Amino acid sequence: MGSNTSYTRRRVQKILFRLGFLLPALLIYTFILLIPIVDSMRLSFYTGSGLIPNTFIGLGNYIKIFTQDVFRERVWGAFTNNIKFFLIVTLLQNVLGFFLAMAVTRPIKGASFMRKISFIPTTLSVLVVGFLFRQILNPIWGILGNFPWLGNEFTALPTLAVAVSWQFIGESILLYTVGIDGIPIELLEAARIDGANWFQEMRHIILPAIMPIVGIVTLLIYVGDFTQFDIVYAMTTTSGNPRFKTDLFGSLFYRTAFSTPARGGWGMGMGAAVSTIMFAVVAFGVGIWFFVFQRKRDA
Amino acid sequence: MKLSKRVVLLCLIAVLAMSMVFAGGDKEKGKIRIVTTSWRTEDVERMNRINALYMEKHPNVIIDFQPTADEEYDANTTAALETGIGADIIYLRSYDEGLPYYEAGHLVDLTNIIPNLEKFPRAAVGAWSKDGVTYGLPSAGVTHGVYYNKAIFKKHGLTPPKTWAEFIKLNDTLLAKGEVPIAQGALDDWTLYEVAFSGLGANFYGGEAARQALLAGKAKLTDPNFIKAFEAVYSLKKYLPRGYEALDYSAMLQMFASGQAAMFIGGSWEISTFEDMGADPANVGWFAPPVEKAGDRLQYCFHVDIGVGVNKNSKHLDEAIEYLKWVAGAEYAQALMNELPGFFSYTPADVKINDPLAAEMFKVIADSEPTVRTVWEKLSAQAPSGNELMGIALPGMMVDKYTPKEAAAFVQSQLETWYPPFKK
Amino acid sequence: MKRKKHRTLSTYVYYLAMLAYLVVIAYPLYLMVVTSLKPNAEIFKNPLGPPQSFYLGNFITLISRANFNLYFLNSLIVVFVSLFCIIIFSSLAAFILAKHGFKGSTFLYSFFVAGLIIPIRLGTISILKMMIGFGLHDTLASVILVSIATGIPFGIFILTDFIRMVPDDLMHAARIDGYSEPKIFLRIIIPLLLPAIASVAVVNFIPIWNDFWFPLILLKSQSVRTVPLATALLFGQFSTNYGHVFAMLTMASVPVVITYLIFSRWFIKGLTEGGLKG
Repeated sequence: MGSNTSYTRRRVQKILFRLGFLLPALLIYTFILLIPIVDSMRLSFYTGSGLIPNTFIGLGNYIKIFTQDVFRERVWGAFTNNIKFFLIVTLLQNVLGFFLAMAVTRPIKGASFMRKISFIPTTLSVLVVGFLFRQILNPIWGILGNFPWLGNEFTALPTLAVAVSWQFIGESILLYTVGIDGIPIELLEAARIDGANWFQEMRHIILPAIMPIVGIVTLLIYVGDFTQFDIVYAMTTTSGNPRFKTDLFGSLFYRTAFSTPARGGWGMGMGAAVSTIMFAVVAFGVGIWFFVFQRKRDA
Repeated sequence: MKLSKRVVLLCLIAVLAMSMVFAGGDKEKGKIRIVTTSWRTEDVERMNRINALYMEKHPNVIIDFQPTADEEYDANTTAALETGIGADIIYLRSYDEGLPYYEAGHLVDLTNIIPNLEKFPRAAVGAWSKDGVTYGLPSAGVTHGVYYNKAIFKKHGLTPPKTWAEFIKLNDTLLAKGEVPIAQGALDDWTLYEVAFSGLGANFYGGEAARQALLAGKAKLTDPNFIKAFEAVYSLKKYLPRGYEALDYSAMLQMFASGQAAMFIGGSWEISTFEDMGADPANVGWFAPPVEKAGDRLQYCFHVDIGVGVNKNSKHLDEAIEYLKWVAGAEYAQALMNELPGFFSYTPADVKINDPLAAEMFKVIADSEPTVRTVWEKLSAQAPSGNELMGIALPGMMVDKYTPKEAAAFVQSQLETWYPPFKK
Repeated sequence: MKRKKHRTLSTYVYYLAMLAYLVVIAYPLYLMVVTSLKPNAEIFKNPLGPPQSFYLGNFITLISRANFNLYFLNSLIVVFVSLFCIIIFSSLAAFILAKHGFKGSTFLYSFFVAGLIIPIRLGTISILKMMIGFGLHDTLASVILVSIATGIPFGIFILTDFIRMVPDDLMHAARIDGYSEPKIFLRIIIPLLLPAIASVAVVNFIPIWNDFWFPLILLKSQSVRTVPLATALLFGQFSTNYGHVFAMLTMASVPVVITYLIFSRWFIKGLTEGGLKG
């Protein structure tokens, strides 16, 4: 039966102990991940030259972006490019990845080797992949003919999407195979006995079982694509050549926030506005994801 | 688990050991390190050789040449200077691209510090001065023209053209004979603007005189003479290689260096580049931008390229300035011309040009009207800058997104949104 | 009868598809390695074929003249210090969240895990400001801090669950023996946590090593350059020596690929947890 003071002391100790253990992670996470994002939003209401804008102009930056052609075109362009990019990547990385995952989970020789190998491109840096593809597609080397894949307005962006998908399809395959592995064998065997072919198997058993993973993969791809920068840098320079056709939000943000006016910089205040817009787009997508996939869960 | 831990430890040790072994060590106890920064990443070896001359005489100083990628150079340098980690010696591009550093207060006023500054050509000094204050020492200028493959020309009995008509005829011949006339792409926009347009187009829009008129607001890019320049560049479209829309600068260089194309519209800085790429110097020829009509005076784009400034916040201000004085001197000038032929030093000294190509390029200056890149001065001070706009308009024109007239109109209209003389 | 035939045909198709996929993956990698083993001149003449001989000149140049060993060391420092901190900080916090729940600890857990889908890059401007303010601009510490922050959500996500699985009885017994909480953490929890720690480490190794964005923005001097930055520099607009470039690409890739191959089991385990929990 402890006295009041020893009880309090123990309680204080308990709190200190918990706080002490939680604090490092909490501090770093909050101050380096969360707060800067909020602070960037705050910065978007300022303008000024140099590294730290300090003149408050309220919605001024946003007004500029939405009313002045030069700015609006770039932001809208990046947005539409990013959507196209996301759709192509989804098709290749997500859909194709899913089919490949189904393929490598068959009990056939070589499947597990393929599983291991398919992830190797993902371990490379996006820069490396971008440069590599850029060289391969170089009209002089002409592996794919001397067609200007990266110079033609219509093929440039899809080419980037193909490179990114090539790299990350392994990640989707990995996640999907893990999910497929988790499906009880009896279910699949029962289906096969019933004479189901692979398509029916997929539709009725596999797909429903791994729906949550489909959700995750889609979400990861979405968030990753709308902040993708490295591939643009590596393959077509941060100006989004040709003529901004490969300009994504990532490269737009980098260029507008961190470059000098001569190379397309808009000042940090405007750059912060761009990043806030990006955040809105990502949050919107995540919101939809929650809606779609949470509902599916509850269903 | 134990095994994997061991593996990790092993790797760590192995790598650390490796790096110790290979660690390039100039033990610099007591030495002062002067960091110089530039956008010329391809010059590292040559600059080190040049700087070695200085270090021989000043054994307590190390000159560390640390270039940054060209595209990042301005952003990097700005950020570095503003946060106090800038290099000691800063390379500056001319006019609008170097001015911001001075205006932000990062550079030392060199006007009275460099002894022979008054002897430097006024035009060059002006590119790095404002209101009488010189913040950058003019280090090198470059010229623009056309390289050609002598063997290919000889094979088809061609000689370097003097006029544009001759130039076109030459191109037609090459095309007919199945050669790729010009190794030029549309992916790296600066090659079209800085070299093709400013270099070849100058003869059409009237060089320096026209540029001054433009600056004063008395002329527009949509005037007939400028349109002629746009059209001239556009007319070269059919002589470009297949897939030119995706040809970037490195690919262009490769094509020419490996003999796959007959000509290369380039700048004097490429002399050493082609050599490094294995092209036989004896096979590389050069001719000046063809004039519009026979008898015209050559409008020669002799652009003020590299200026050198000193970071006001340098921790080794005295040594940096000492170094800069050496850079302003004859020894540096000669070393520069030797190691980097094609970079023409402005130093008022008796410097010999040993490289034959560089000598040719330099010889032409005497008989020409020098000018600089079209919208480099004053017209690129703000966003959207003239340089950036040209970089959009010209590639766009080459892929038929704009007609030459539209390209000109585009740049002009955007400049009119902010450039005061245009806004009247 | 019919079924068997059908199966053989589809098996062929299957193998064909797998082969095609394998080629698509392997060819660019093959090209990268092979090109790095050719001198520049040979690359122009024969860009796609196998090398005439194992030319090591490109690699030697990189190491001896391009300071590559310095950049490698920088990357290693960033990765190892970051991983170390991620693991420690995450396990400390996970311990509390898993075994010492209090009002709001579930909220805290979600709070951390939300970070998995919050793109840290969007706060870059403020991060830059902060680093400048603390004088960490242009130091490896800035990149390390950012890497830690990025890795914590996943660390907590995985480790909390793992710790939860530790039987409470074990801990009660230890308490009766007089162990203080921190001691329990050290002596009991950590040893049991090692597989999960390995997974967290391996999963984070790759993105931290390959990170280009934050080094690009936070680091300026040559002395703190990491491998991705150096790669970008070397591939700069004017780069003309393809042999060097590809050697650089190869050298930048080898550490991560090898790490993955060695630790692929833990890697898969790590993503498994993530996938199954989703």
